[in-house]
Amino acid sequence: MREIMRVNMSDLSIKTEPLPAGWARYGGRVLTSAIIFTEVPADADPLGADNKLVFAPGLLGGTNTPNGGRLSVGAKSPLTGGLKESNSGGQAAHAFGKMGLAAVIVEGKPADSSAAYMLVIEADKSARLERVDAWKGMGNYAVAEAIKAIRPADDHFSTITNGPAGEMGLKASGIAVSDMKGYPNRFAGRGGLGAVMGSKGLKAIVVSDKGLKNVEHADKEAFQAAMKVFANALTSHPVSGQGLPTYGTNVLANIINEAGGYPTRNFSDGRFEGVEGISGEKQREVTLERGGNVKHGCHTGCVIQCSRYWFDKDGHYKTKGPEYESAWSLGADCGISDMDVVAELDYTCGDLGLDTIEMGATLAVYMDSGAIAFGDGDAALATLKETVTGSELGRAIGDGAEATGVKYGVAHIPVVKHQALPAYDPRPIQGIGVTYATSTQGADHTAGYAITANVLAVGGTVDPLKSEGQAALSQGLQIATGMLDAMGFCIFVAFPVLDIPEAFGAIADMVSAHTGETWDADALMAIGKEALTYERLFNQHAGFTAADDRLPAFFKEVPLPPHNAVFTVTDAELDSVFDFVPETAAGLGIS
Amino acid sequence: MIVDVALFASLASFQPDGLPGRHSRPLEFPEGFLISQVIAALALPDEPRVIFVNGRHAEESAVLRDGDRLAIFPPVGGG
Repeated sequence: MREIMRVNMSDLSIKTEPLPAGWARYGGRVLTSAIIFTEVPADADPLGADNKLVFAPGLLGGTNTPNGGRLSVGAKSPLTGGLKESNSGGQAAHAFGKMGLAAVIVEGKPADSSAAYMLVIEADKSARLERVDAWKGMGNYAVAEAIKAIRPADDHFSTITNGPAGEMGLKASGIAVSDMKGYPNRFAGRGGLGAVMGSKGLKAIVVSDKGLKNVEHADKEAFQAAMKVFANALTSHPVSGQGLPTYGTNVLANIINEAGGYPTRNFSDGRFEGVEGISGEKQREVTLERGGNVKHGCHTGCVIQCSRYWFDKDGHYKTKGPEYESAWSLGADCGISDMDVVAELDYTCGDLGLDTIEMGATLAVYMDSGAIAFGDGDAALATLKETVTGSELGRAIGDGAEATGVKYGVAHIPVVKHQALPAYDPRPIQGIGVTYATSTQGADHTAGYAITANVLAVGGTVDPLKSEGQAALSQGLQIATGMLDAMGFCIFVAFPVLDIPEAFGAIADMVSAHTGETWDADALMAIGKEALTYERLFNQHAGFTAADDRLPAFFKEVPLPPHNAVFTVTDAELDSVFDFVPETAAGLGIS
Repeated sequence: MIVDVALFASLASFQPDGLPGRHSRPLEFPEGFLISQVIAALALPDEPRVIFVNGRHAEESAVLRDGDRLAIFPPVGGG
């Protein structure tokens, strides 16, 4: 029986309770979203005592499932105002899973707003809150070191930490999760969840899994058989088996640029003349020259191994990746083509606890205002560091692209539901535009990654420059993603799953063998729909309407070179994406 | 005719000049050459690939024209 741990920051109590029977099939995103929907009033102040911050491993978390160790972090988002699930790699999810925790819910708010706490969860599930006031204002890397210094030398633990941006309540703040080497470089980055953690006075969580074994499967033999099929699919598919491990996520830079959908200088061009300098291929060459690492997993059990460490010119660790989205946002979108500059910005975001996508997009908007020049890396870094000084400029930048664009009078502010668009322009790649517009999460590429069929020829092909088929493509992907996030899968398993039918069947077989219940394709998809339904209804209760499921008008009006494309998917098509919600809600008995 | 050919990721080493880098090279082919004929001329490995002509997806059976930009990728993904 999995349990929920409740950490009440108002009275500093910690309790564990059984996971409600109705949620026995839930994990990861569907669980965090169900908890927020059920327990947080839709009109709650995101930084108030009524909001909750929920951490949940997937249903397969804590097992030996390949690429099954992702962490869902849920709350009402200070950035979007809607229900947020921000998804992170790193080691914490497996640790929670191994100790039988389906979720950790942080609720309430300390009476003493100056206090900073660390939640320590030992491997025997005993937990306590410790005052760590001296750590206030410290960056994620320093906090990770401070935690390491006070843990027993033979401990095995992971960390979840909050940087100064989150402590200051900035809406672009994220939560850092430690990777296999203990670096706090994996992120639940999007939606300002660092600010929620900061509002609860929580600076860090330490989770020890010393001596803990993987969670047992109901039918070990059947699980092993299904796992073999699944792992074979991951390693045999050219994207997850070759492209990602060799070049990392940033292998995308050149192909998205070639397709004319690589947003450049605040979404004013679809191609960046400096792409080579920040491409995945170049990144691999330089990383190898400097002795960096070009192939590892972000969590135990990853067989794809797309993570890498960037080293500086002196051969020292600088930051992870940088990943494709970060190299784009802090690179092309800002007109910057030097990966060392990008890496410095990426490291600074990571240490301060800021979402790299939101920050790159914000700096680009700020550049578009004329305040600093596109391509000026020094000015970008100085502006980024301003976020935690408390200055008026820093507050605007730290609150993201929309806050900055409104303050500085920028016409083109690329956000949906107040959250900045990621690294694909929706004009020449219209499927991803449908996801940006309609996702419960605000503009979020991972919510329904239509780049697959639109650009990469994975899971079929849909012409990216036309509106036909995009709504259906996005809907299918959003539901499937809700399922993968519920199980704790890395989203990159979708590349083989979309192309290899046996891989999808293997997921159903693994979940069945693990839980001892029968799961088929319909049951898996139902979980995805349920996750989206909790989120969609919460957002409606919070005041969202169809008008919030739209791209900013300039994407429909201003043609983007080189294809001179505009976004042409109709409002009616956008409004069809969530047509399954009433039926799913009725089945759940919620409204 | 001259076609601007760019090869990416693991295919970059198949440029006839043998030089590193993903920049495009102007290569001369007979008029009416098909993409599949360029692939054969470059001796690209017999593996799945994603092909663009002038930034738009193209089939290997497509005919190239003078001045086209041809970009070829192995299957890639990320995000």
